[in-house]
Amino acid sequence: MPYFTTSSEWVEQSSLLLKARPTTTRITSKYSVLKPNASKVRKQKEKSAIKSSSKTPPSEPSATSGVASFQASFILKTYDPESGTCLKYRTDKAAEVGRLVGSLGKLGRHMAALPEVLDDLSAPADQGTGTHTPITEGASSKDVKSAVPESKSAPQAGGGGGKKKKKGKK
Amino acid sequence: MVGEHLSNEEFFTGLSELFDSNRAKSHGSIFLTQRRLQFSFGSTASTPTKTADNPLWDTRPQDPLPIIVRATNSKSTKKVGGSRKSEKRIKLSTIVQPEALDRFYLRYAELCKAGMSALKKRDRSKRKKDKAKKRKAGDGEKKG
Repeated sequence: MPYFTTSSEWVEQSSLLLKARPTTTRITSKYSVLKPNASKVRKQKEKSAIKSSSKTPPSEPSATSGVASFQASFILKTYDPESGTCLKYRTDKAAEVGRLVGSLGKLGRHMAALPEVLDDLSAPADQGTGTHTPITEGASSKDVKSAVPESKSAPQAGGGGGKKKKKGKK
Repeated sequence: MVGEHLSNEEFFTGLSELFDSNRAKSHGSIFLTQRRLQFSFGSTASTPTKTADNPLWDTRPQDPLPIIVRATNSKSTKKVGGSRKSEKRIKLSTIVQPEALDRFYLRYAELCKAGMSALKKRDRSKRKKDKAKKRKAGDGEKKG
């Protein structure tokens, strides 16, 4: 099963799956720290040997140990055994964990059959997403679908843009 | 079965211990699972049951349902004759009531953030380099 490239895409698709099959769908997340396997270490040693022979610096212990260090990853998987649907997302960035677990909570609301209204209250809705009408349980999935990525993507884009502008002024 | 589930607080302490032992060992995996609690103990009347004529039988339950969150430190199947030492498998599970969901996930997110310490930190040195590059580029434009 291929992985989604963006987390918002994974959240969106997972919420749709949960809406369709809330009882059977489960979300498994795996946090794994792996030792680099022997072949990888060997390859990296070879690489560094080639590098050091072509370039002048012969000893770069920090670089080699850095590459062959432990590989940690956080994998999220939404799986519905009844339909066989499997949605996955993988990351190795610590910065994403908080947001992803937050979205696990959002998806947990689908599981608990709670309406999505409280989502917007808990989320930092400081940007121009204040136009959310309270979504009741009877709302169509289309509404919900459009609401989720909006609230997700807006603060990120806004934050990045704001920073850039500030830098420009300086 | 009911007795095996931990309270939310106990689950958090157990999970942080799990993360700590993982850090001490410096490798290994932690699995976290969440799903709707299908079988409610005691009151079976409120849980919807599957019917053949209605494919959307479970999409609109009358009352919000609790969810179950599980955490474990290894896979359920062990390799037979594997070279790895068999560790003690730790299983944690807790039932989160719908009204406690938001509070639970706030704590849960903090715990995970703290526990998953082996993930890549935000690379600040790279960003500084980019800044420097941008500045250089900006200077070039001004000169030209």
